Parts: sequence; structure tokens; C-alpha cells
Amino acid sequence: MNPVVSVLFVGGVLGIGAYVVAVLDRAFGPVSRGPRDWFVWPIRRAAFLAVQRRTETERPDAEAWILAPALLAALAAAGLTAVPVTPSLAVADVSAGVVLFGAAMIIVMVAVFLQGWSPNSLFPLIGAYRFAAMALSFGIPFSLVVLTTAIPAESLSVGAIVASQEGLWNVVRQPLGLPVYLVTGAAVAFWGPFRIPEGTDLAGGAVLEASGSARAVWRIARAGVLVTLSVMGAAIFLGGHLGPVLPGWAWTALKTLVLLAVFVWSGHAFARMRVERFVWFGWVVLLPVALVDVFASGILAL
Amino acid sequence: MSVLGVTAIVVFGVASVVTGWLVFRTDSMVRAAYWLMASFVGVGAMLVTLDSQFLGLILILMMAGEMTIMAIFMVMYMMNPAGLNPMVMVHQHRTAIAAGVGSFLLLATVALVADFPADPAPAGADPTAELGFELLGRSMLVFESAGVALLAVMIGAVAVAGKWGRFGDADAGSVEPPLDPEEAAS
Repeated sequence: MNPVVSVLFVGGVLGIGAYVVAVLDRAFGPVSRGPRDWFVWPIRRAAFLAVQRRTETERPDAEAWILAPALLAALAAAGLTAVPVTPSLAVADVSAGVVLFGAAMIIVMVAVFLQGWSPNSLFPLIGAYRFAAMALSFGIPFSLVVLTTAIPAESLSVGAIVASQEGLWNVVRQPLGLPVYLVTGAAVAFWGPFRIPEGTDLAGGAVLEASGSARAVWRIARAGVLVTLSVMGAAIFLGGHLGPVLPGWAWTALKTLVLLAVFVWSGHAFARMRVERFVWFGWVVLLPVALVDVFASGILAL
Repeated sequence: MSVLGVTAIVVFGVASVVTGWLVFRTDSMVRAAYWLMASFVGVGAMLVTLDSQFLGLILILMMAGEMTIMAIFMVMYMMNPAGLNPMVMVHQHRTAIAAGVGSFLLLATVALVADFPADPAPAGADPTAELGFELLGRSMLVFESAGVALLAVMIGAVAVAGKWGRFGDADAGSVEPPLDPEEAAS
């Protein structure tokens, strides 16, 4: 794909996706005032953040603080490039696409750590450490379920993984994959029950001192990570662009929307988890389940 | 290799060296750790440019987690717990300079003297598949021993980290250390 078109495409998908996330969040949320409010609220909120005065802290790591939201947005964009939206249209359907996606999603840990660490403030720092503990616990199960989808395709390319689901989607073939992906994916975007580094018990945690445009970019980037997770989840578990009647891009958009709705809904349906409990959950429940998923898929492939 | 490819390799290589140098020029633990990560990302990007996508991306994937763990451990062992106060990151200057110059000369000599093989991979070869055949072919014993050992460590770590134990939950009866120093002293 032409480089300029690629940048516009990735930016467009992430921008529209972030808006959809905000609309869904308002719609599922406790303060919902009808459809008009769902669509207006994100714009109003963005306008408020655009004119909000910037918070200053004592001796922050200024460069890292500015870079953290940009890094998060860049990671969402990098993960998105590997997914083919239609059979022929992908920014870069590289031969190790799922590994590219996995690497981008693991580096989210660095972005969140920098965001919490750089303002030189107590609660954001605690938030940063919480996310490091979380990320080490969900990192392995997340990577395992994503890489397991490559086993039936015999290829790490996302295009080949989608093509291998012609006939039977991975959500059926690997029944443990999608549930683990949804749980760990929400944790990657520290969304919903895993809003642990930004919990209200820390008065906002990692993002407490961020205000104005920096906070707006951080929020948009986090929604972008959720969009990337949904697009990739739709591609590797729900057959991506495969489907009857409708064109390929419509199926990708539809499946992405379903996963996005599940992610956003989980934020209002479940209480936030404590970080100790999440670490236990990650190592004792998610990791063994993900390993069973790998072994079962391996045996099936043989 | 195309002009674009060679340019990319040079850019990534220079970026790796510069960020590697910055590791020692910064005055902060966390910055040092992440400059080192940036340096490894540069190396990973070079590998990707050299058509070894899987190895390059895996290198980048592993480094993110490792460098965060390193930063946390470095900060943990330090006097100022937040790690934001500036501190000198280098010590033993004479020994360090001697070791640095010595290893540079050694590697430069190897680079100039060694007779590197010049057999380009055949077009259309899949490096990831080749790597897989190597890992589960000739080098199977080595890699499978390491793999099984790592799996055992993972299972062991889960067992150790599990909340349950002979005397109940691991955190039963534990008390968080007080933040007030006077309370801690009493």
C-alpha cells in the first residue's frame, strides 16, 4: 500500500475506532441520556480537554512524559498494520504479523510505566508499578493464545491465519483462545475490570497528573489499543473478512464492532479487580488455560 | 539489497549505537533501562531489514518486558525509591574505560580479520521455517532441553507464587509495612 495512504488509513481507523469506543462507553455507562448524548459527549469531552490547563509537577521527566501517550498511540498503529482488512488490502501483511502485533502489545507496558513514572508523583508511580506487575502476569498467556492461532495456519502471517479459517473459525477450533484473549486483551488496554493502574482508589493512578491535551491523547491512544485488539481478535479468532453476501471490509468492521462492544461493556459489567488477585489469576488460571490451548491445538494439528 | 534497505540498516545501526551510548550518559535508572531497550529495538529492526522478521520481532518483544523488570529491580535496590532523583550511572572510570577500549579493539579486529561467509540465502527462502527446522532438527537436543527446563521453571514459579500453601493462603496474616517511619521503628 502507498505510504501516504497507509498512514491516513491507520490514523482513520484508530480515530474512528476511538470515537466509537467513547460512544459505546457512554451508551453502556451509568450516565446515559439517550442516543444524541452518546454521540455528542465524546466531542464535548475532547473540547474540554483541549482547553484545559496543563498540570505541572515538581521536576518531572518532561520528555518521557510527553513521549508516553505518543508511544501508546504508535503501538496501537503498529499492531494494526499487520491485519488484512479485505483479502487484498493490508498495510503490511508481513510474514511474522502476529509476532509484530504481540511485540507492540507487550511494549504497552513501557508506555504505561513511563506515563506513571515520569510526572514524579506518588499515585501515578504506584499505578505504573501495578501495571508492570499486571503485564508480567498477562503477557505470557496473551502471547500464547495469539501465537496458537498460527498453528492451524502453519504461518505467522495474519493473512494466512484468516485464510486458514475458511470453513471453521478459530473461535470454534480453539475454544479456549477467544476467552483468554478477551480477558488478557482488556488487561493490555487496562480497560474495565483491569483498570488497575488507573483505578479510582489511586485517584486516577498513572494518568492522575496528566491533563489537557496530554490526557486527551492518552485516552484516544488507549481506545486505539482497544480498537487494534478488536481488529486483530476479529481476524485471528472470528475469521476476519470471511463471510457470505457482504463485502470483506464490512465483515471485518462488523466483527470488530462486536468485540469492541464486549470490551467496552465489560467495563461497566464487572467490578475492578485488585492487583494481587489479578497476578494470582494470571499465573494460576490464565497461564495453564493458555498452555492447554497450545497443547490441544498442537495435537489437533498433528 | 536495495538502496532503501541499506539506508534503513545504517539508520537503525547508528540509532542503536547512539541510544546505547545514551545509556551511560543519562542520570536516571529508568531512562538508562529504556535507552538500552531502544538500542535493542534498533538491533531488532536491523534483523527485520535483513529479512529475519521473526528473530527481530521476538527480540523486540522480549526486551520490553526484560527492561521494565530491570528498571524496577534497579530502582528497588536504590536509596531513593522513586528513582527520579538524578544519580551518577557510571563508576570505576579507569577500569570501565580500559574494558570499553579493549573490547572495541578486540571486536574491531575480529570484524576486519575474520573471513565472513558470503553465501546469500536463496530467493524465496522462508527464514522462519528454516529456523523452525533448525530448532527441531540438528539443534533439537539443545533447544528442547532448554525449552523443557524453562517450562519446568514456569510451572515451578506458578506453584511457588500460588496463594495456597500448607499453612493456608500465602498472604494470610501478612501485614503491609507501615509508611510512617516512627511506626516502623516501634
